[in-house]
Parts: sequence; structure tokens; C-alpha cells
Amino acid sequence: MSLQVWVRRTRSPEPAAVKREVNVLEPADLLDVDAKDDPDASPVLCCSGEPTGAAAFGPLWLKRIAASGRCAAAVSVRGQGGTPAAPGGAEAYAHDVVQAAIGMPRQAVLIGHGTGAGWCALAAARYPAAALVLVAPRKLPKRLPRPVGEPPVMFAVTEAEAQSKEAQAVTAAYGISPLTFPGGADEVFKGQNAEGLLDAILSWLNRKED
Amino acid sequence: MQEFSSQAAYDRGEAVCVIGAGASGLIAVKNLRENGFEVDCYERDTVLGGLWNPSNQHSPLYPNTHLVTSRSQTEIPDFPMPDHWPDYPSSAQMLEYLQSYASHFGLAEHIWYGSEISHIESVDGARFEVVVKPAAGSAARRLRYAAVIVATGHHWVPNLPSYPGQDLFRGTVLHSSQLGDGSRLRGKSVLVVGGGNSGVDIACEAAVSASRCAHSARRGYWYLPKYLGGEPSDYALARLHSRPKWMRRFLTDRLLKGPRRLAARMGMDEPDHAHTDEEPVRNGRYLEHVGDGSIERRPEIARFEGGEVVFVDGTEMRPDVVVLATGFRPKLACVPAELLGVDDDSPYPRLMARMFSPKAETLAVAGLVESGVGVLPIVHWQTHAISHWLTIRKGDPERAANFRQQVISESDQYAVSSSGISPRHRLAVDAQEYLAGLGRIIDTLEQEPVK
Repeated sequence: MSLQVWVRRTRSPEPAAVKREVNVLEPADLLDVDAKDDPDASPVLCCSGEPTGAAAFGPLWLKRIAASGRCAAAVSVRGQGGTPAAPGGAEAYAHDVVQAAIGMPRQAVLIGHGTGAGWCALAAARYPAAALVLVAPRKLPKRLPRPVGEPPVMFAVTEAEAQSKEAQAVTAAYGISPLTFPGGADEVFKGQNAEGLLDAILSWLNRKED
Repeated sequence: MQEFSSQAAYDRGEAVCVIGAGASGLIAVKNLRENGFEVDCYERDTVLGGLWNPSNQHSPLYPNTHLVTSRSQTEIPDFPMPDHWPDYPSSAQMLEYLQSYASHFGLAEHIWYGSEISHIESVDGARFEVVVKPAAGSAARRLRYAAVIVATGHHWVPNLPSYPGQDLFRGTVLHSSQLGDGSRLRGKSVLVVGGGNSGVDIACEAAVSASRCAHSARRGYWYLPKYLGGEPSDYALARLHSRPKWMRRFLTDRLLKGPRRLAARMGMDEPDHAHTDEEPVRNGRYLEHVGDGSIERRPEIARFEGGEVVFVDGTEMRPDVVVLATGFRPKLACVPAELLGVDDDSPYPRLMARMFSPKAETLAVAGLVESGVGVLPIVHWQTHAISHWLTIRKGDPERAANFRQQVISESDQYAVSSSGISPRHRLAVDAQEYLAGLGRIIDTLEQEPVK
């Protein structure tokens, strides 16, 4: 975020405040697995473009992230899941992601899926995320802003979309090559492929903190 | 304890020393850490939050302190306040905000509490030797740092006026920072001295809790309500900057006409400066309290006479408590005056671009400005620039030298014509101009080096 962008933002109206639904799962909340709580590991905040919002991450993602020792959370932006609808476009959704991020105990990793990947990319330009993970991004903003605090960025797409317009935009903006995973873009929340993808993301997060 | 004796200086290599763990110090630590620097932050008190923490023994908070700038203009740019907070958060919320900032970015582990810096001297060219004096126990330690950022703020040393006969006055005379909670005002006859934000806030507090409240101000101020045209007033005024200049002046005048006419109606002096020259007094209740008579406006104090206070217009009053809300003097005790460009005729530092020491390359001061907007974002961009500059200096000394030239030329632009008589005036900058200058400095720093 450059100073000019910030000045412009302070002179434009803030999106209306909404009561956001944030689902949090801490390693200590897991009763069936013996998760080692790692207080130094960055917590993870997930955001999806699906209309169900935070609930989409429920069964598999939050549990598996928490089992890896990280505090896991998912946010529903305005109009998704349990968060009431309020006016505003992509900037307002990014505002919701930032507001959820500052509620996390430590600097958070932002994971965005689908349209949510674009909102997370915008949020990472306003909030110094610990890392930014974009999963099967769709409808990205025309210009991807530079993230503040220079977080490491990871980017995963389905094999079929590896050459899509979005994938090329992300590669150009962050200078990283995509990690491809089998299956369709909507299969990231359950099934064999989803577990493989999630494990790849978690091992990437753990590796970079070594 | 040979290694801590006064002879041996422990070399901390490329680490940076930050003095003060208040709002400015915390932001400095976070931005330096983000740029990969090792940081040691020294705080003389045992808590973080600086002036916002009432358990800090030097805290200047007065009863019911609230922010005078609205949330969107005050929050740290990359760590916004929760959006369900009110437009003007209280000092308790401000402390909560700073504490969550510190824990979110893991800053507490870099802070050494109860450590006062007693001396700084420059050694080996651009490095610094810092003498840290613990509050209790062991002897002072000497450490060497690559750079020092002073973030001690400027609300610690009360600016106390003295009037003839004040020593013999039989009532209580307090500075606003000694007031603590409002119980000392309850049921008393109170005289508040000083027309700034703190004076006006305390007068409003006394207007409802004291039996009688008089307010002495020696000149005219701009009185802005906290809301103008249905928006927080600083936001409403800042928004106009995106308009063309002639329209901005017209719209600004229209927004300010109401409060100005009201102040004139209350018999107050016309302010002798434009509203951007000095931070206006932001309090919506004050003029209403003057209007319903619960605050009596008085001119400057002429002298004290026993239990009486005589004003320059000849009126008299017999107050139980006199609250001197006369502000603070900027004083950077730990840094040698010549490093900050303090010369004999003025006690105020002359810094380049209001942050870099004119003498030592790697000494900088964060947050020593008074601007119409909140100081937190300004400190953020200052320390952002400082940490980028330190990074560049490490890797590319030639670029660093060119950059210094630019800072010198930039800093000429903020030479504020100091017509004011109050000490805070000397630190005043026009926020918009200053931020634009900071933006140019940051742009230069972030440009890719010419290969």
C-alpha cells in the first residue's frame, strides 16, 4: 500500500460496519486428534467466494489446519453465510477480510478461494499478512496490488486452468509459478483431491517458517 | 558483572535502538522488524502504550480523554481499528488498540521495560553508543547500535506558565496531567487555563461536575465540532482535498461558517490564523456549555492575589482549583542537543523532513509533529521511510547519499512561519503538505535502483 493509496482511502467513505460471521477452530478445540498447539505458527484465515462463506471450510479445512497446530478461522464477508448483506463491492469485501484479520491473535496467513482469492489479494495490500495463498482464483481485480510487508505468496490452480487468464495474471503479478492440483475448481472442499491440496498448502506454510 | 561495567560496550551489530514503547515506538519497532532489522526497544516505564496507558506513572491523560481526530484519520494504515468502534474512540480503547497491535505483530518480545536511556553518543562515524540505565538494580549498560530512532513523544514535560503572586495563592494549582480522574473537580469552583484541546475538554468536564467553571484563554481559536455536515469533521474537511482548489476554499468556508459565527456570538476573539495553520480545538460541547452559562469565558490571567485570581479585563474570581491545561514542552532529554539541531535561541529541534537528524545520518525522531490529522499514520509513514532508508544505506551507500540531498530540499518546504505563541505551534505541520512530502520521499526510496 503506498501512501497515496492510503490517502485516497481515508478520503472515501468506509464501508458500512456489519457483524461478521467468523468461525474459529483452535488446536485445543479438537477432541479426537491430539494436535500440538504451536503458539509461534501464524494463524490462518480463510475466505471463499462461495455464497455459504465460512461454512464452506467447516468440515475439512478448519479441522485439518487446526490439527497442524495452527489457529484456523474462516470469515463470511457481507452477504455470505451468517453475515448480513450490506452495500459495497470488492473493496468492501477486502475490508471485511482485513477486519477479520486484525481480530486474529497474531499476524495471519490469508487463504483465498475462488472470487475470495481476489478479495484476499486486495486485503493483503492493506494488511501485512504472514503469507498469501490463492486457490483457484476467479474474477481477480484488473490490477493486482503489491502486498504490504512482502509476504510469501502461494498460488494453486486446477490442472485444467493452469494456463487460464487468471493464472497468468497471478504469475505476472507475483512472479511465482502455480502449483497444480487434479480435479475441478469446486472440489477443493471435500474429497481426496481437497486433502492433497490442503496438505500441500500446509507443508508449504511449515517449510517457509523453518 | 565485568561485561556490564562502564568500560565495555556490547556491540549489537546492525541492530536498531528504539527509545520509547508508546504508539510511535511500537509502530517503529513493527516497521523495522518488517524490513528485517533486529530491534531493541527501551521503555522507561513498566508498561507499553506510552501516554495512552493510565498505569504509566507519567501518563498525562485527563478525565474522560477521547481522541480528537476520528477513527479513519487516526488508525494505523495497515492495522485498522475494529469498524464497530465509535468514530471518536476513548483513551481506554486507544490503549486496547495499541496492545492488540503489539501482540498481533509480536512486538512485546523486543521491548525492554524499566530501562531509561541516560545518554547517546555517536561513535565510529554513523554508529551510536547507548547507555541504558535500568530502573532498579544493576549498573548501567553500554550498547552499540547501527541506528537510533527516538520515539519518546512530546507530551511529558508540562509547560507551566507563572503569574505574579502565584506562589502565595491559597487554592490548588494543578497541571492537566496531574488531574487523574475527575474527582478533584467535583463540587469545586474551578478555573481552567489554556484554550487548547485539553483545556476545552477539561472545562467541559468541569462544566457538569464542578459547582462553577471559568475558562481562561488568551486568544482566539478555531472551535470545530466533532461532526460537520453529518460526517466526522476531520474526514469532511480532508475529503475536500480531492476537489479543485477554488471549490475547496468555497466548501471549506461553508463548512466552517457555522462554528465561526457561533464562536463570535459567544464573544470570543476571532482566530488570528487560518484553520490549517494550527490544530483547531475539536469539541462540540464547548460552545454549548458557554452558551448555557455553565462555562464562563475569561481572558488571560493578570495576577493572583491571595485567594483571588484577577484577569486582564479587571474581573476577579475566587477558585478552589486552578487547572493549567497549558500543554507540554517537547524535550528529548537523552539525545545531545547538537545532534538534533537545537541551537541557542530555540529549544525546538530542527530536523530534516521533521524526522532525520541534521547531524547524524542514522539518528531519527518519530512522531515529533503536530498535524491536523492523527499522528499514528504520520508515524507509520515516517518509520516506513526511515526503515527503507536504513535498508538502502546498508546495501547501496551511493544511493543513500543522493537521497539525503532530496530530504534536505524537501525539508525546506515545511519551514512553518512560526507566528504562534504557543509551544505546540512550533511542531505544527500542514498534514496534507507533509504527507505529500513524505510520499515523495518514500517513492524515491522504493524506486528500483538505476542499473
